[in-house]
Amino acid sequence: MEITHKRLNRVDLLKLVGRLDALHAPQLRTEIDRLFEQGRYRLVLDLAELEYVASPGLRVLIEARKRAREWKLTDIEGGDVRIANLPPRIKEVFDLTGFTSLFEIFADTTDAVGSY
Amino acid sequence: MDSITIPATLESLARISDFIIDATVRVGLDDHAAWQVQLAVDEAATNIIQHGYGPGQVGDIELSWRVDGVQFAITLRDRGRRFSPADVPAPNISSPLEERQPGGLGIYLMGRLMDSVRFEYDQQRGNTLTMTKRIGPAAGPARIFELHGRLDAVSTAAALTQVRAAVSSGTRNILLDLSDVTFMSSSGLRALLLVRKDLIANGGEFRLCELQPQVYEVFAITGFTQVFSIHQTRDDAMAAFG
Repeated sequence: MEITHKRLNRVDLLKLVGRLDALHAPQLRTEIDRLFEQGRYRLVLDLAELEYVASPGLRVLIEARKRAREWKLTDIEGGDVRIANLPPRIKEVFDLTGFTSLFEIFADTTDAVGSY
Repeated sequence: MDSITIPATLESLARISDFIIDATVRVGLDDHAAWQVQLAVDEAATNIIQHGYGPGQVGDIELSWRVDGVQFAITLRDRGRRFSPADVPAPNISSPLEERQPGGLGIYLMGRLMDSVRFEYDQQRGNTLTMTKRIGPAAGPARIFELHGRLDAVSTAAALTQVRAAVSSGTRNILLDLSDVTFMSSSGLRALLLVRKDLIANGGEFRLCELQPQVYEVFAITGFTQVFSIHQTRDDAMAAFG
């Protein structure tokens, strides 16, 4: 899997390309941990080119969102992991596992970044 | 029937997927069912690799498939620790984030993606997991095909190759999932009309689902929303086949 990182003013954008399976899930975890350590808790994951997701990848997503939301900037503003662009197969896995209602999902990265 | 034995390491997952994809093509599973099988096997193999064999313990996975009537059956064998599915609590997929447990999704997904999942243990032979998926039209009221990308004059003919093959081999009901189609030209529309005509001549039904707004607009402008049966979701469409 390939992860490209783009730092915006308030938000960090991670684009995931390829397969998010058990072999590659630790790579995403490491990248997210690195951002959290830098105090960057507002993430957007662009999944437009994610071909495949399996449960170890889903696990990383849940744990990341839980941790991000523990960080508060003000009473109303804080960290989060938001999703942009869900390809059909990834959406199907999200639907099967209840992830569709567990995450805030946006039609594109502009909307997702703008939501912060 | 075919089988491979490979080391139980995460690096083997890609080879396992290739093996399964090759098998699903040979037995004629449609794209969607093939993907479901691939994900279920990936989850099963991941469980064996991460939990069956302990850290530092080297073992193998023996993966095989066969066709049993209309069933495509896949078997995974390993000699790791005894696996008992009852020990894995089912995830509560409707609980809110704060209460949501991150694990347990692998076994759950296997059950949702396959028609049957059976775990057995034997002292001599170790763990045996058998999963089955129905092949062909019997899998539901219709065969589902997914089209991708831009459907213009050139790409439509190629995209419809499998669909046409299904029609000529006697498939009656077909659902086209257009969720990943970003553009449709008038030649694309014409090609769909021809498929529809052939199917209806065979006494079958042709339905479309999950059109992106800009694609739906092409149907609306040309008046083809009146001609084609268009559904919002795959479930709606499958329920409409009579």
